[in-house]
Amino acid sequence: MTPEIGHFALALAFALALIQSVVPLIGASRGKLLWMQSARATSIGQLLLVGLAFGALMRSFIISDFTVVNVASNSHSLKPMLYKIAGTWGSHEGSLLLWVLILTLFGAGVSLFGSNIPDPLKARTLAVQAWISTGFLSFMLFTSNPFTRVFPPPADGKDLNPLLQDVGLALHPPFLYLGYVGFSIVFSFAVAALLEGRVDAAWARWVRPWTLAAWMSLTAGIVLGSWWAYYELGWGGWWFWDPVENVSFMPWLLGTALLHSAIVTEKRDAFKSWTILLAILTFSLSLLGTFVVRSGLLTSVHAFAVDPERGLYILFLLALSIGGSLALYAWRAPMMEAGGIFKPISREAGLLVNNLILGAATGTVLFGTLYPLFLEAVTGEKISVGAPFFNATFIPMMLPLVLFMGVGPFLSWKRADLAGVLQRVWFVALASIIATLVLWYLQEGGPLLAHLSILLATWLLLATLREWAMRIRLFDVPFSEALRRARNLPRASHGMTMAHAGLAVAMFGFIGSSAWKVEEVVFVAPGSTIEIAGFEVTFEGVERVRGPNYFADRGTLDVTRNGESITTLFPERRYYPIAESSTTESAIRSTLAGDLYASIAEPASEDAELSGAWTLRILYEPFVNFIWLGSTFLILGGALSLSDRRLRVGAPKRTRATSALSTPAE
Amino acid sequence: MIFAWMVLLTVLSVGFVVFPLLWQRQVPSAALDSTPAVLVDQLDEVQRDLDRHVISTSEAAAAQQEIKRRILAAARRATSGQVADNTSGRGTLFLAAFFVPLVAVGYYAIMGSPEISSLAYADRQAERAEQQKITELTDKLYARLTSEPNGGASEGWMLLGQTYYRMGEYARAAAAFETVTIRDDATSATFSMLAEALVSAEQGIVTPRAETAIDRAIALDPSNPAGVFYKSMALAQEGKEPAAHALLLSHLETADGFAPWMEAFVAQANQIAQTLGRDPIALTDYAPMASGGAGPTAEDIAAAGEMSAEDRGEFIRSMVNRLAERLEENPDDLNGWLQLANAYTVLGEQINAVSAFERASTLLSDLAPSDPRHRVVEQALSELKQ
Repeated sequence: MTPEIGHFALALAFALALIQSVVPLIGASRGKLLWMQSARATSIGQLLLVGLAFGALMRSFIISDFTVVNVASNSHSLKPMLYKIAGTWGSHEGSLLLWVLILTLFGAGVSLFGSNIPDPLKARTLAVQAWISTGFLSFMLFTSNPFTRVFPPPADGKDLNPLLQDVGLALHPPFLYLGYVGFSIVFSFAVAALLEGRVDAAWARWVRPWTLAAWMSLTAGIVLGSWWAYYELGWGGWWFWDPVENVSFMPWLLGTALLHSAIVTEKRDAFKSWTILLAILTFSLSLLGTFVVRSGLLTSVHAFAVDPERGLYILFLLALSIGGSLALYAWRAPMMEAGGIFKPISREAGLLVNNLILGAATGTVLFGTLYPLFLEAVTGEKISVGAPFFNATFIPMMLPLVLFMGVGPFLSWKRADLAGVLQRVWFVALASIIATLVLWYLQEGGPLLAHLSILLATWLLLATLREWAMRIRLFDVPFSEALRRARNLPRASHGMTMAHAGLAVAMFGFIGSSAWKVEEVVFVAPGSTIEIAGFEVTFEGVERVRGPNYFADRGTLDVTRNGESITTLFPERRYYPIAESSTTESAIRSTLAGDLYASIAEPASEDAELSGAWTLRILYEPFVNFIWLGSTFLILGGALSLSDRRLRVGAPKRTRATSALSTPAE
Repeated sequence: MIFAWMVLLTVLSVGFVVFPLLWQRQVPSAALDSTPAVLVDQLDEVQRDLDRHVISTSEAAAAQQEIKRRILAAARRATSGQVADNTSGRGTLFLAAFFVPLVAVGYYAIMGSPEISSLAYADRQAERAEQQKITELTDKLYARLTSEPNGGASEGWMLLGQTYYRMGEYARAAAAFETVTIRDDATSATFSMLAEALVSAEQGIVTPRAETAIDRAIALDPSNPAGVFYKSMALAQEGKEPAAHALLLSHLETADGFAPWMEAFVAQANQIAQTLGRDPIALTDYAPMASGGAGPTAEDIAAAGEMSAEDRGEFIRSMVNRLAERLEENPDDLNGWLQLANAYTVLGEQINAVSAFERASTLLSDLAPSDPRHRVVEQALSELKQ
């Protein structure tokens, strides 16, 4: 019964979405308050119904109800409970349901917490949000139904892809989707503003918390995915410039630009076109990501043709939403009033450079991601565009951005005093250069690009801290006074410092683990010892162990340094008999200075197997944990900024504690 | 029960649409433009920056002036805005609310499967025990056959092969049949069953090994329908569709009256005819008495009476299959399920019989408690599950 209630709830949500797409919109244009307000309740209704459907599917996974095809294809009775739950969004259908759930979550969020937004704008925004949910609910109901049933049920399920049976990856999609789909509400705000023909400081401020929330989630989602790839794929890499990664990275880049552009719109009434366009494009790239991943286009351009119904439907949705919103933009954007003027050296100009570089970088990644797909579709030739392309194009583009990032926060609005700024940062620059030269000397050379990057990361970190110190007048005034100033500083200000410093910290991780990585791939027999990065690693042998739904060959590695025992590592090679596939469980000794990373694989030849030899991959990755540390700073910086009280300014004071459902007549 | 839930959800959803009518607010939320409030906050911020010496006095003055200009502009725009109308449009909302059940029920009527109850893995102990028992029995049979000094009776191997085939273990089924094919008592049926298992194991592809078995089956008995059927499949897969089509038709011509294999032949012939662009054929062209409806007609039964024991078995089998298919399309037919369950009981197919009785028992809840069919199902299930 439960799956059928879920199915029916989806159909009801679809009906509500259809109504919400039309009624509030007409209400806004005709000034009919009742019609406008209908969007508030229907958006909450959509959330409850889709939530019910999601709960129903999750229950089916938890109790292993194999009368649901989706459960039978993606779960197994022996699977650990956590992965049964995560299986809910492990398949195409389930992940779409999660997608729509998050979509309705953001719609209901605006409805519940947007009491400071005028009715017409809110009605239009929620109507646009309902267009998107209509599109995706119909896609789900007609081509990808998560509640398709089978009777009699199969004896047991086919199990979830074991690579996905992992904590990092269980949480990765929900966060990624919170980010991807979170930008939908910003998109809806942008389209609503175009329909209304008005973008001002208040609009920018209403949009800001949603942009921040989406950006934080997307950051967390990407980092979790990267962390998962690092320890689960067994290669020790954390970013592969794989199309699946790129499609999540592009909305992040543009979302970052949007976050900054919206500040200019709020403070200076400028960059309106930029902000609207970035809002549209960011979500468009999220849709593109969903399309590329969900249509099977990546496995092969031809996989798309195997299931053309799904692919074409989502391609149609994509064309409609991107084409439609851009056409609306082309038509309405020129009518928006121009905002405040500014000089070439000003904070506005700095943020313009930020927009330009991030936009160009996104374009580069987009080209590198889609070009192989187009080429394969047109000529049938299969090529892969990987790290060399992106290292040669993307990184040189980002380095100047880091240079500007250090100085940008010192610039004041409208026109900045360049001499004054340089006076404040010259010793920061000097300190960075000295630090880099010291490192150069200690490392006895090394790749030039790596040292240049280290220089810029140091510069960004020191300049960011210098700017923060200046704001609270640290060292200029007594410490207690500086502390008082720090407390009074808006949280958004602390958030910016933290996020910018976080990027610098993460950069140390990117550079250290790429440029100074040491890697050994060797055949080892029990008793053999490898020396790597000052450690001696002794392979003790392999034993067979059993897990709940797999069995594994577990290697034992004794790690010593200068004869002193450091740790023992247990890398595993797991085999999942039901899913008929294998995974690598790497073993990592993690410290802030660097990770010692080991994984084993079956021996390459039968002779080697007979002698008990295994393939051992062992790496030392300096500073790699700075990536996760810096990323955490980025997310915390976003959270600090989100908690800034100024984001709530403009709310009618007395209705603060009342929700949209229970506001009494005043 | 499920329909009660659906009604409840529908009422709730309708409620969401007409909500503004039920709790109408007199004052529109944020009726006053909040832009000035945001701008006033910016003014305060400029003052704070000035106090902290982040900006100079002249910069602060310019910024404050600009913000004040924008406050004025916003205020001017607010007074010229249109006044919202908060009473009219009730009819439209009611109309929209009516649309909710229309869309949802309309969709669900086509796409939903309310008849399938959910079934937790933990509640399927009995089914697994049954499976387990069959597996054990097959294992025992296998062990006995392999331990016998003469290699085990051919009948035993054939039974084992057929059981494996029904369990979906095609490779094992093929191995069991193969044991018999090298013996002297191998018949045409042995080879055609082997061919069937091999083809099923390869998801419908006729491999060279399967084709050898097919050819042997036909050599031993040119009239073996299974042999001819798979021969046509092999020909069609080799690109010789006209020959495959002709073979099927010529074999249909030789049929004297109705035989259960004819349906499969007609379906296969029509599938090939479609690729060749030829007209489809009908079963009644070859077996006029097969035009009956869902259940066995008087003629069917009379025809069954004239058949050999083996043919009759197959004939009953096809009747039962037809009934089962009809019930999948029309699952609310209680008497149909009882008929099917009885048929399975007679055929000795215990699992199918239990599942049919269980399907019947799900329909019993709609009957009066005094209805005798309650007792029939209960008794049959308890007997079968022993």
